Amino acid sequence: MNGFDRRTFLKALAAAPVASVLSVPAARGATSKARVLVVGGGYGGATAAKYLRVLDPAIAVTLIERETLYTSCPLSNEVISGERDIKTLQVGYDGLSRHGVEVLHDEAGQIDPVKKTVTTAGGKTLEYDALVLSPGVDFDFGALEGLTRELAETRLPHAWKAGPQTLLLKQQLEAMPDGGTFIIVVPPGPFRCPPGPYERAAQVALHCKTHGKAKSKVLILDANDSFSKKALFEQAWKELYGYGEGGMIEWVPASKDGKVERVDPETLTCYAGFGEYKGDVVNVIPPHHAGKIAKDLGLATFKDKWCEVRPENMESTKQKDIYVVGDACVGGELASNNPFPKSAHMAISQAKVVAASLVAKFNGLPPPEPIYTNTCYSVVGHDWGFSVVHLFRVDAGQWVYVKSGSGISPVTMGTKEAPKPVPRLYRKLEVEYADGWLRNVLADAFL
Amino acid sequence: MGKVLSAWFLLVLAGPALAAGNIDLLARTCNNCHGLNGVSVGTSMPSIGGLPKVYLANIMKDWKYDKRGAVTMNRIVKGLSDDEIDALAAYFAKLPWVPVPQPASAENLAIGKTVITENCEDCHGATGSDPDVGAPRLNGQWARYMALELEKYRDPEFRMTHRKMRKAARELKEGEVHPVAAYFGAQDK
Repeated sequence: MNGFDRRTFLKALAAAPVASVLSVPAARGATSKARVLVVGGGYGGATAAKYLRVLDPAIAVTLIERETLYTSCPLSNEVISGERDIKTLQVGYDGLSRHGVEVLHDEAGQIDPVKKTVTTAGGKTLEYDALVLSPGVDFDFGALEGLTRELAETRLPHAWKAGPQTLLLKQQLEAMPDGGTFIIVVPPGPFRCPPGPYERAAQVALHCKTHGKAKSKVLILDANDSFSKKALFEQAWKELYGYGEGGMIEWVPASKDGKVERVDPETLTCYAGFGEYKGDVVNVIPPHHAGKIAKDLGLATFKDKWCEVRPENMESTKQKDIYVVGDACVGGELASNNPFPKSAHMAISQAKVVAASLVAKFNGLPPPEPIYTNTCYSVVGHDWGFSVVHLFRVDAGQWVYVKSGSGISPVTMGTKEAPKPVPRLYRKLEVEYADGWLRNVLADAFL
Repeated sequence: MGKVLSAWFLLVLAGPALAAGNIDLLARTCNNCHGLNGVSVGTSMPSIGGLPKVYLANIMKDWKYDKRGAVTMNRIVKGLSDDEIDALAAYFAKLPWVPVPQPASAENLAIGKTVITENCEDCHGATGSDPDVGAPRLNGQWARYMALELEKYRDPEFRMTHRKMRKAARELKEGEVHPVAAYFGAQDK
């Protein structure tokens, strides 16, 4: 099966008119055409490693990843509410090994971009022709007074990397009494998973509603004044849980003292401007930035947080032969405020561009034309979901946001003058598709 | 818009071979939700590898031009040119159809078979493997996906294009929807 994609790909590329003959770097191994190292085994890194091998098994690929089990962040809000078993989000790395990826469970330490080597915490030094970094994000715990890494693992979990903290937050929610307040502290954008905090609010409300805790509150303290899919979320919150004054869910934007500056872990109180909010569960999502390894190398040139890359192939603008994919990078049409959303789907899409570009390069073939897509579902209730899709192309070395191929699920139907409600089947189908999407992206990246 | 057009112009100048190379990368974006080589592992998402070219091209254009309702695909395909849609349809139609036979109860199989003989066989074939021009294969397609599609056809608020299919789906009794999907889903050949 995999051979099919590989054959058609190489054949199509070989048949293409060659504008310039690219030099093929000397192979480092005796048998391999080139050696690619991938750092970080999330959606982006796993996809890059797999597709490199699928498209050209003569390329040696090593994936460096600390953990032996991956937990998907997408749909992990459903674990917190008790709607989904965390096992459905987990996958190991055997699938990648079956594609011939050498999986090294170690931590990448030092990168030498001149010698083109990566040294691991375990003491190995590996050479590369190309290095793909998919380090995800690291948190800036110091940005909020009173918050520490230790507190994030105990009293104030972020659960913004799926795993133990997801289960911790779930336990805290389960222990919350009826009438309790669940606070979600949202950092300034851009952050990983733009609709995530608001989907989480809905899932927490769903848990309360279905577990005899209807008097509880979900309070979103936001460092921003708007958010992804806002009209869709507000409609669903209102309809399903009550929203605003007297409702179960309340959203406090930055302009109304929603930007939390300090937390007191003892009393579980959040302080924002003149606002003071006491919670029973406080879920602080700290501001974050490109993973440490990319930041340490000086790749995070965008606002000192995110890695800038070339639109045609995701190569770092700072370092040749180093490619950055996933939440750590910044891309898209920034001038029109249409950046790449930090999503799993986007990371997979970026990784496929990298894989195809590298395979073309190592085979002396012209680069393929990149295309970047995103689909992101949010599940806000039983039978109520919606999504956003994005399409980006590249023209004259610049990302172009293709508006016609992008957009959110309808908020209403009918006409502007006579709007009609969206049939419930639409919302139900998107819950079903969210699950189908999850299973397929996990397989696409890891199996 | 001008930018995008100029990109297309360059693509046309570069000739069909480069365009074909580009379709591979574009087609690979479909894998996210429809699986490698169009073989889905998500039960609510259809496998698309090996479906007839006419069916694939028609359904994507129907979504693009708002002739047919959808919840996600209609937005995705609007960013594609008609040529890209045709190329994608040709790409996936050339791939082998990989049925994923799913277990079904004897009762569902019996009800499903009876209903299918009456309502579905004429256009899709007795096991779903022999569709008319413009109709999809159904043998070993995901049952959950097929049941959801039938729900769409049965909902008067959901705009579905095919008159005969609409009629056939609405003639089913409530209890026949799942058996029909289960029967086709269970078929290997």
